[in-house]
Amino acid sequence: MSGWPEQDRGEAFAVATYGLSMRYGSETALAGIHLRVPEGAVYILIGPNGAGKSTAMKVLLNLERPHAGRAEVFGLDTASRGPEVRAQVGYVPEQHAHDYAWMMCGRLIEHVAAHYPAWDHAYAAHLIEVFGVRPHRKVGTLSKGESRRLQFVLALAHRPPLLLLDEPTDGLDPVVRNRTLAQLAEHLADTPATVVIATHHIREVESLADHVGVLREGRLVAQMTRDELRRTVVRYRVEVPEGWQPPPDLRIASLRRSRAGREVQWTLIGEPDEVTAHLAGAGATVRDVTPLALEEAALAFLAEEVSA
Amino acid sequence: MLVNLDPNDGRPLYLQIMDEVRRAIVVGTLRAEDPLPSVRELAAELVVNARTVSQAYQELEREGIVYVRRGQGTFVSPAVRRGGGERRRSLAREVAKRALLEARRNGLDAEELVMAIQKLAAEEERAEARLARAAGKGDDE
Repeated sequence: MSGWPEQDRGEAFAVATYGLSMRYGSETALAGIHLRVPEGAVYILIGPNGAGKSTAMKVLLNLERPHAGRAEVFGLDTASRGPEVRAQVGYVPEQHAHDYAWMMCGRLIEHVAAHYPAWDHAYAAHLIEVFGVRPHRKVGTLSKGESRRLQFVLALAHRPPLLLLDEPTDGLDPVVRNRTLAQLAEHLADTPATVVIATHHIREVESLADHVGVLREGRLVAQMTRDELRRTVVRYRVEVPEGWQPPPDLRIASLRRSRAGREVQWTLIGEPDEVTAHLAGAGATVRDVTPLALEEAALAFLAEEVSA
Repeated sequence: MLVNLDPNDGRPLYLQIMDEVRRAIVVGTLRAEDPLPSVRELAAELVVNARTVSQAYQELEREGIVYVRRGQGTFVSPAVRRGGGERRRSLAREVAKRALLEARRNGLDAEELVMAIQKLAAEEERAEARLARAAGKGDDE
């Protein structure tokens, strides 16, 4: 199965974690996860609220200390080389509040710029314009949407090689959301970067994604390329004899059975050839195999029986 | 050229972009020597990875449908005027693929689908002929 550290095949990873674990009191936030985000990937990390997505990002920025395991960003250990790591990261945090509520936006931008040798002032001015950030507004008085747009300016203006975006479309109305995502796509076309997007709004960002990770209760239950996800999570329509029982070792994500019981519709996880042969061997006839939209396919890992 | 992507289409996005370009050429909204949108423009418009657009353009280039002028962008090949039949066939093939998938999903086989299409087309042709007769000899276009 994917999601486990096989051989790292000499691939370069922008983000790699090794058995990363994190607890808040008795709550397990992350249970030994092995993230692998290849350089240049747009990796969407999905999972329900509380699955550990934000925690994973905070560990990468050394804003949280893991209880076990470790994390690397471009090969740098996040715990011991935090400042170097942060210099290479543009971060849009989940929460909208800024630390400097009393500052004016323009002043905050200058303040943040001073921390980044790579800050591109001309580009920052362009971003301020396209995101409609008003420099004389006080940070503390911004709406959620305005705050998010300011965060995007701060995250993109130093053209970092890694972007960590935590629920980036949260708080944006649909028009601004589309404009923001278009701006992000344009940014990526001009400035090659690795992007990790944590979200439960998969549809909004899926067109950008080429890698997908699924977190469930602190465990990384799937991690693969978009192509692999498309190939291995598909819907099968199967004709079965009356009273048929499925073979026990199918990885069933969702099941619909017709009233007459002769037709079954499944989302199954596995190589289609193997699954089809397996079903045929058990006396069922696969009528068709339908690919799924990315969201449906990814959600299969959240619906799958835990026992699998 | 307008490119539409369907998030429910299970096919890879670069294939969808290729199809949209082929469709635009067949229906005539893209013609020989027309520029395609830049990778950056189309990536921003569709909110896709620039690499997805590049991949689509590269495949189209390999198929001889478009060509790259260094520093100027990607253009529709002059040859598209001649190779029209080929392109129509490959577009028809993609449309047929989708129809066949839909037919199978409904428990129909290819033969039943083909027969139904022929019957339907014949009916529509007869209806059009009736309309044309009623209107006398109509204008072209």
